[in-house]
Amino acid sequence: MDIQEVIKQQVTTHPVVVYMKGTPAAPRCGFSANVINILNALGVKDIFSVNILESDDIRLGIIEYANWPTVPQVYINGEFIGGSDITTEMYQSGELKTLLSKVPA
Amino acid sequence: MVTPESIRIDIDKGMKTSYLTVEGDGQHFEAVIVSEEFAGLSRIQRQQRVNKTLGERMTTDIHALSMKTFTPQEWQEKNK
Repeated sequence: MDIQEVIKQQVTTHPVVVYMKGTPAAPRCGFSANVINILNALGVKDIFSVNILESDDIRLGIIEYANWPTVPQVYINGEFIGGSDITTEMYQSGELKTLLSKVPA
Repeated sequence: MVTPESIRIDIDKGMKTSYLTVEGDGQHFEAVIVSEEFAGLSRIQRQQRVNKTLGERMTTDIHALSMKTFTPQEWQEKNK
């Protein structure tokens, strides 16, 4: 399967997806750790995370998929939300909580 | 080493800004960008606009660039 198809399938079949450096238990970058902390703080139990350090195909694929040059990348209900800055802003404004309330439990 | 000034110059060349600062330690950078070009754009589109001014540097020599984006009106509100 084409890598763009793989990514599309990942983000549309899981409600909350994070492409990151490392894993939620052991993030390898402060920005990746930040978005995981925020999602944890909002009570998100089921995070589908992809460690981009393990796959160059995925790393390059997500840059193209979102037209976004950096990780982490957060997707909710198939929609690209942003990286660490935007996730933080949306957490502080309450928008992220609202978005997550639409995620099926 | 990447200097904040070199990032500032690229952003300044690539888009119209009314206020622009970049700080950083050579690895992680933080930018504040005020531009009328942001009007009507989503947060994602704003960052994509700035990323475009830096081109390939975003995936090569710049490890991390954190940014805050405002239109002149938003900036004025914020600094009231």
